[in-house]
Amino acid sequence: MFKRMCLMFVVLLLAVGCAFAQGDTLTVVMAADSKSLDPHAAPDLSSTSVMTQMMESLVTIDSGGNIVPLLAESFEKLDDLRYKFVLRKGVRFHNGEELTAEDVKYTFTRAVRTGKVIDYVVRNIDIEHIEILDDYTIIVPSLTPDSSFLACLSHYCAGVVLNQKAVDAAGERVGMQPVGTGPYKFVSWQKGNRVVLERFEDYWGDKAKTPNLVFRTITEGTNRCIELETGGADIVQSLLPVDVNRVVDNPKLTLLRLPAPVVMYLGMNVSNEPLSDIRVRRAITLVVDNRPIVKIAFRGVGLPARGPVPPTIKYYDPTLPEILPDVEKAKALMAEAGYKEGLKMELWCRDEKTYIDTATIIQNQLKQIGIDLSIQVMEWGAFLEKLKQREQQLYLQAWNSVIADPDYSLFGVFHSSQKLTGLNRGVYGNPEVDKLLEEGKRVSDGPEREAVYHRLQHMIADDVAWGFLHVNELLIGMSENVRGFLFDPSGNHKYYQVYFDQAK
Amino acid sequence: MWRYVLRRLCYLLPIFIGISFFVFFMLHMTPGDPARLMLGDAATETSVQELRQEMGLNDPFLMQYGRYIKNAVRGDIGKSYITKSPVAHEVLQAFPATLRLALFAISIAILIGVPLGILSAIHQYSLLDNVAMGFALIGISMPVFWLGLLLILLFCVWLGWFPASGFDTFRQMVLPAVTLSTPSLAIISRISRSSMLEVVRQDYICMARAKGQVEWRVIWNHALGNALIPIVTIVGLQFGGLLEGAVVTEAVFAVPGIGSLLVEAIKTRDYPMVLGGVLFIGVVFSLVNLVVDILYAYIDPRIKARYQNG
Repeated sequence: MFKRMCLMFVVLLLAVGCAFAQGDTLTVVMAADSKSLDPHAAPDLSSTSVMTQMMESLVTIDSGGNIVPLLAESFEKLDDLRYKFVLRKGVRFHNGEELTAEDVKYTFTRAVRTGKVIDYVVRNIDIEHIEILDDYTIIVPSLTPDSSFLACLSHYCAGVVLNQKAVDAAGERVGMQPVGTGPYKFVSWQKGNRVVLERFEDYWGDKAKTPNLVFRTITEGTNRCIELETGGADIVQSLLPVDVNRVVDNPKLTLLRLPAPVVMYLGMNVSNEPLSDIRVRRAITLVVDNRPIVKIAFRGVGLPARGPVPPTIKYYDPTLPEILPDVEKAKALMAEAGYKEGLKMELWCRDEKTYIDTATIIQNQLKQIGIDLSIQVMEWGAFLEKLKQREQQLYLQAWNSVIADPDYSLFGVFHSSQKLTGLNRGVYGNPEVDKLLEEGKRVSDGPEREAVYHRLQHMIADDVAWGFLHVNELLIGMSENVRGFLFDPSGNHKYYQVYFDQAK
Repeated sequence: MWRYVLRRLCYLLPIFIGISFFVFFMLHMTPGDPARLMLGDAATETSVQELRQEMGLNDPFLMQYGRYIKNAVRGDIGKSYITKSPVAHEVLQAFPATLRLALFAISIAILIGVPLGILSAIHQYSLLDNVAMGFALIGISMPVFWLGLLLILLFCVWLGWFPASGFDTFRQMVLPAVTLSTPSLAIISRISRSSMLEVVRQDYICMARAKGQVEWRVIWNHALGNALIPIVTIVGLQFGGLLEGAVVTEAVFAVPGIGSLLVEAIKTRDYPMVLGGVLFIGVVFSLVNLVVDILYAYIDPRIKARYQNG
C-alpha cells in the first residue's frame, strides 16, 4: 500500500509539463487575463492589448494625436456625415482571405448589432447606409454630425476589421479563435495563464521582429515585478507604484513612465444642498490640495490634474491655472454660504488602496474648513450601483478617455442630457456648456474646434463641477535588452517592432 | 456496499438544489448589477437597462431561479456573462491546475505530516516532539499569503532556485504546493500525534510489546491501523478543502485554478460562472467525503460489516 502510494506520487510529479523555450519569444505580463478575444465583446485593457497585436482598424492615431491611415490607404470626409475610405490592396486575414469592402461593412454591422459593450463607441455608425463603391472603396456614414467619428473608428477594438468567414467558422467560440489582419496571429490560449501568438508571415506591412509573443497573467502586483527581476518576463505592462524604485535601482531593468488619458476627480453632486452652492464647491477645491495626493496616495506616480481633459488628448489647454490651497479664502466662502459652523458630509469611494488613501487625505484637508467628512468605501460593483441613484454627495472616480478625442473626455460627463441616465453623475448642467459641447461635436478639427474646447475647459473649471485630482501614468517595466517598444497612451502598446539586443 | 454508495450518490441531488438556491439567493442579494459591470463604467443607463432586459435580469427572482434549474436539468449550466463561453467548459479547464496543486500539496502534507505525528507520539515530550509541535503551531497560525511571499523572497529573489509564478513546469509547482501544504501538514501531524497517543496506551499494545514484538512492528502493524480513522478523516477534509481552489495561494503564485476563476467571477457578478463553480466544488467535496467513508470500511472491519447490513 505504502509503496504504491509512493509510486503514484512520483508519477504525479513527472506528469507535469515541460519547460518553456526562450530566445525567440517575447514574454509580456499583464495584470488580468483576457476576457474574450472577440473585439465586439471585451473592450477591457487585458483583452484589447492582446487583440491589438492581431487586429487592425481602418485608421489609427499616431503619437501626435493625428488620425492616420492603417488598413485604409486614404480617407476623405465627403460631407458632414459621410466618410470615404480606400482600402489597401493585398491585405490578408490570418485565414488567407483578402480584405475587401465587404469585410468592413460586415464588421461594422456586427459591431452595432451585437456589440453591447462597445455601444458607446459605435452607436453613431449608420449601418443602414454604408455604401460599397467597389471591392476597395467604401463610404461609412455617421447618424449625426460628429467630429470624433474618425477617432471612434480608430478605436483599438471597436474599430478593427473582421472577416465574416472566420467569424462564422468559429461560431460560438469566436472569442477563443480570433482572426485579424495584424502582424501576429493566434496560436493558443490557456485561460488564466497565457495567450500565445506567433508571427503572421503574410502580413502586408513590416513583419513582426520577434517570432513568438506570449502574454502571461499575474494578478499579484509585486509578483509581476519579481517575474521581471528573475527573468521570467521581458515586459511588464502594469507595475505597482511601490515597485518603481526596485526597477529603477536594478541596472538590468528599464522603467518607462508614460502619461495615460485617465483623470481622477472629486465628484460633487450639485443637485442637492449644500453642494448646489458654488461657494461650498469652490471652498472645497481651495483646501483639497492634490499635490500631497499624488505624492502620498500615488507614491509620486502621475501628475496633479488641472482640468477635465487629460494632457495626452488633443486640445488639452495647458493654460489652465493651477489651484493653490487658500484656507482663509475657503473659510470666508463657507461663512458666506452660511456654513460658518461647519457641516457633515459623505464621500464615497471604491475599495482600492489608492482611492481609500486619497479619501483619507481629503478628509483631513476638509477639516480645515469645518467639514466633517465620513468616508464610505464600497466594492466596485456596489459603488456603481449606488451612484445610479444619484444620492451621493462627494465621490471619487476616474474618467478614462478611451476614445482619443476631447468630445469623449467631456460630453458624457458634463452634458446636461446625461444627468439622469448617463455618466453625468454630478448632475451638473450649464446651458452654455451644453451649447459648446454640441458645437465641438459639429465643428471639424482645426483652430476653431480647439478654441471651443479650450473655452469649455475653463468654463467647467470655473463652475467647479469637479475637483481635479490626478492624471495617471502607465508604469512599464522591461528588461534592458528589449528594443523597439511602441508606446500607446491607451495602454494597448504594439509589440511587433520589439526585438532583443543580442549584444547585451 | 454498492447500495450504500448509490444511496450516497442520491444525496447529491438535494445538496445540488440546496447549494444552487442558496448561492443564487446570495448573488441576488448582493449589490452590484451584472449588466452594468459587463458594459463598464462608460455605458449609459439606457444600454444597461436594455441589456438587463435581454439577459432576463428584470424577471422575478424565483422565475430566474426556475429557468436556471430547468436548463441545469437538461445539462446546460449556462454561459459566462463575461467571456460568453460555456461555464462547464471554463470550470473544467480551470480544474486540472487546482487538482494538480491539491494532489501535490496533500502528498507533501501526508508524507511529512503523518510520520512526524507518529514520531512525536512515540517520543512524547522529547525534543523532537516539542520542536515538531512548535512548527505545527506556527504552520497552522501563519497566513498562507505571507508564507508564500516569504518563500518567493527566499527561493526566487535571493536564491533564484524556483520561478515566482506560473504553473506549467514542475519547478513552478514546488513553491505553491509547499505553501499550500503547510497548514494541512500542521493539522495532519497534530491529529496523527494525538490519535497515536491514544492508541499506544491501549492494553493490546502493551501486550504486543510483552510478547516480545520488535518496536517498529508494534507501531506499524498494531498501533497505526487503529489510529488511522481520525487521520484519514482529516486528510479527506483537508483534501476537499484544497480542491475548492486555494484562492490566496492561487493569486500569489498566478495559478490558473478554480479559486482565481471564482474570485474574478464574483467581482464581475458573473452569476452563471459563480453558480457553476460553487456547484462543481460542492459535488467534488461530496465525492471526496464519499471516498473517505468508503476508505473507513477498508480500514475498520467493523464499519464494513455495518455497510453490508445496511
